[in-house]
Amino acid sequence: MIPTRRRMVWLAALIVAGNGFLPVLWILFTSLKTEGELMRQPITYWPQDPTFDNYLRAFADQPLPLFLWNSFVVATLSTLLCVTVSALAAYALTRLRVPGRRIILQAILAVAMFPLIALMVPLFQTMRGLGLLNTWLALILPYAVLSMPVCTLVLASFFQDIPADLENAAMIDGCTRLQTLWRVVVPLAGPGVFTAAILAFVNAWDEFLLALTLASRQSMRTVPVGITLYQGEFAFPWPIISAALIVAIVPVAILIAVFQERVVGGLTAGGVKG
Amino acid sequence: MRVGPLERGERWLGYAMLAPAAALLGLIVVYPVVRLILTSFRQVDQGSRAGEAPFVGFENYAYALADPRFWGATGNTLLYIVLTVPAALVVGLGLALLANLPFRVKWPVRLGLLLPWALPLVFAGLIFRWFFEYQQGIVNDVLLRLGFEKLQWLSSPGLAFAATSIAIVWKSSSFVALVLLAGLQAIPRELYEAASVDGASAWQRFRSVTLPALRPAIVVALIFRTITAIQTFDIPYAMTGGGPGESTETLAMYIHKTTIDFLDFGYGSALAVLMFLVSAAATSVYLRRISRAEDAR
Repeated sequence: MIPTRRRMVWLAALIVAGNGFLPVLWILFTSLKTEGELMRQPITYWPQDPTFDNYLRAFADQPLPLFLWNSFVVATLSTLLCVTVSALAAYALTRLRVPGRRIILQAILAVAMFPLIALMVPLFQTMRGLGLLNTWLALILPYAVLSMPVCTLVLASFFQDIPADLENAAMIDGCTRLQTLWRVVVPLAGPGVFTAAILAFVNAWDEFLLALTLASRQSMRTVPVGITLYQGEFAFPWPIISAALIVAIVPVAILIAVFQERVVGGLTAGGVKG
Repeated sequence: MRVGPLERGERWLGYAMLAPAAALLGLIVVYPVVRLILTSFRQVDQGSRAGEAPFVGFENYAYALADPRFWGATGNTLLYIVLTVPAALVVGLGLALLANLPFRVKWPVRLGLLLPWALPLVFAGLIFRWFFEYQQGIVNDVLLRLGFEKLQWLSSPGLAFAATSIAIVWKSSSFVALVLLAGLQAIPRELYEAASVDGASAWQRFRSVTLPALRPAIVVALIFRTITAIQTFDIPYAMTGGGPGESTETLAMYIHKTTIDFLDFGYGSALAVLMFLVSAAATSVYLRRISRAEDAR
């Protein structure tokens, strides 16, 4: 017989994992049910007659691959921009003798944390003025700002952990600052850059409000906005929505499953030090 | 202090490296904020462009203060903050304490905490909308099995507020749990051992070792949660669309409706400025509390 303490640990694991997985599992079950099964009362739990029709319908009713592609491009490019800009700023603020760097860091954080919703109105007008409404750029630029606080904090904490002696040695050997940065710091900061990139990617992939307002044309929609289009005027085609949800959840679920330790480390480094 | 050429060069390099961040923030935040404030003093609607729109002074603000829908949306937003921030903290703390037990295989628990965090808010909204569905929702099914009546979750005001709040707590408690879990893992084991030697019970150890050590992590989690709770939009948008009536409409949803649906940019801008003031007030209260806590140490 399993000792009580072991059983308690098992129960705890079940609660935490269940809390995260069960809602998504329920959506998976729903996506495999037929319309007829869904109407049954009382409702069924396990799919009685599993079908993949809902997945076909999900792809037929809306251009789901296009939504995924838009999300992918916007999230990738905004991540590149965000990490580059944040890395430069974080390096300057942790390693170079810039006067008032503490205040500059706080100013960057304060400005970048301005509520997106308050920015939505002028951003809409600005992007319309620039002719950028319904372009990838309209989302890429704000998304890069969205993740700037967390990326700057994560990268700053990584740069701080690189021993200054390494850089000094390189400079004594005749490297300039920029050469040192490129040859010594960038390779060592790799894990930090990667962690920041995952966080920025997930933030951009998940964003809804700006995507809804700045890219409202069907061909420009991202996944979170596109998913809401499956609802009809009166009826909610739940099995089809569920199938679309599963298709949209899988890529990010794989990403965080593969890099889970990094994601947790980055989240808490940015969170706890902020 | 004399500044040598090396330092001066380094300083310029530093400014050059900060320039891209400054440019991006200028374009995406500073310029739009200036524009927001200017627009809030004008009457900008459908046809007119900001430049030629008539200047109306504080009229938009006066209108907001007399607008019952603005107050309703503000009240709902505050109620969401008051309900979901403490609830997410309690649930998140519970999850973090459970997740901190010594598991042999760590990934199911870690992924269980990460998955809700990684999902878009709208997805959480849709998932919970399906849970709370009247006929086929699993919540009502469970209620029936337990011998209760089915409830009109999404079409009666109080229940709709409860349902959306539950979805928000589910979605946000995992981030809280991740931050608190990192805090828990940083507590030195010796502290617990010393407390055990002194004969402290589990509850006493929690009260006098865990909670004080967790304080900074709790404050951080609370600040992040509050800042996001002020901006609540996605989950009520996906679950109720602000309804029934306007009973779950938040300030952010009202601003969105005013500008994007009714194209009243002047009034929407004034609402956004007011919302920013609410959010700045809330953050500064928290920031002051942290700095007081730091001073006390």
